[in-house]
Amino acid sequence: MTSRLEVFFDSDVIISSLISNKGAAYLLLNTTAVKPIVSDIQKEELVIVVKRLGLDIKRLNTLIEKKFRVAKIVVSKPEINKRFLKYVLDPNDAHVVAGIAASKPSFFVSYNLRHFKIDKIKADFKAISLTPAQLLQYIRLKRNRSLVS
Amino acid sequence: MTDTTLIAYTPEQTAKILQLSKNTVYELIAKGEIIAKRIGKVYRIPAKSLSFVSTGLDSDLLEADQADRKNLSLIQKELSTFRAKS
Repeated sequence: MTSRLEVFFDSDVIISSLISNKGAAYLLLNTTAVKPIVSDIQKEELVIVVKRLGLDIKRLNTLIEKKFRVAKIVVSKPEINKRFLKYVLDPNDAHVVAGIAASKPSFFVSYNLRHFKIDKIKADFKAISLTPAQLLQYIRLKRNRSLVS
Repeated sequence: MTDTTLIAYTPEQTAKILQLSKNTVYELIAKGEIIAKRIGKVYRIPAKSLSFVSTGLDSDLLEADQADRKNLSLIQKELSTFRAKS
């Protein structure tokens, strides 16, 4: 039996899954192949941004409760900026990398990969950064290989 | 390189694109790994079956990716605004 992949989700992917059930984000969150992870800081930002977008906050809460492991970031905001700024192009995204560091996933999914220094994230945290569709393509490949072997 | 003006490819064209032998292409069609249609005595492979060659994604996943991207600018604008203020 193939083990589930631990995947850290950027907030844009989580919100995308709430908007479209035909999108790759929704498909990824509904495959049994992944163990989704989000940080406690992201949980706070998701609640506010989902409200501002006029989306169903109950759906977000149910999604997080039922599917996600919430990784606690124990470092302070100044410390996040100090330690994780080198992994991002936009300093406001540093807390996402703090979440990756805290949760140690195999993969990181985002629709904003160009804002992250993905080679450095891979080197230091061993997490491969992909878009949701790319990760689904990889999962499909793994499934086909396990059928053959 | 896939020709985006073509709607369907012959097995020979497909073999060239995938750098496989023609026989292998026929085998993959028989297994269902390449989706093709037999029209009379010949096979034609729709360009969509080979979408992964140019995009790295199977056609259904490419569509799923595109479905999300329609809403992305609004999502990312709100996230950026929130993150900048925090």
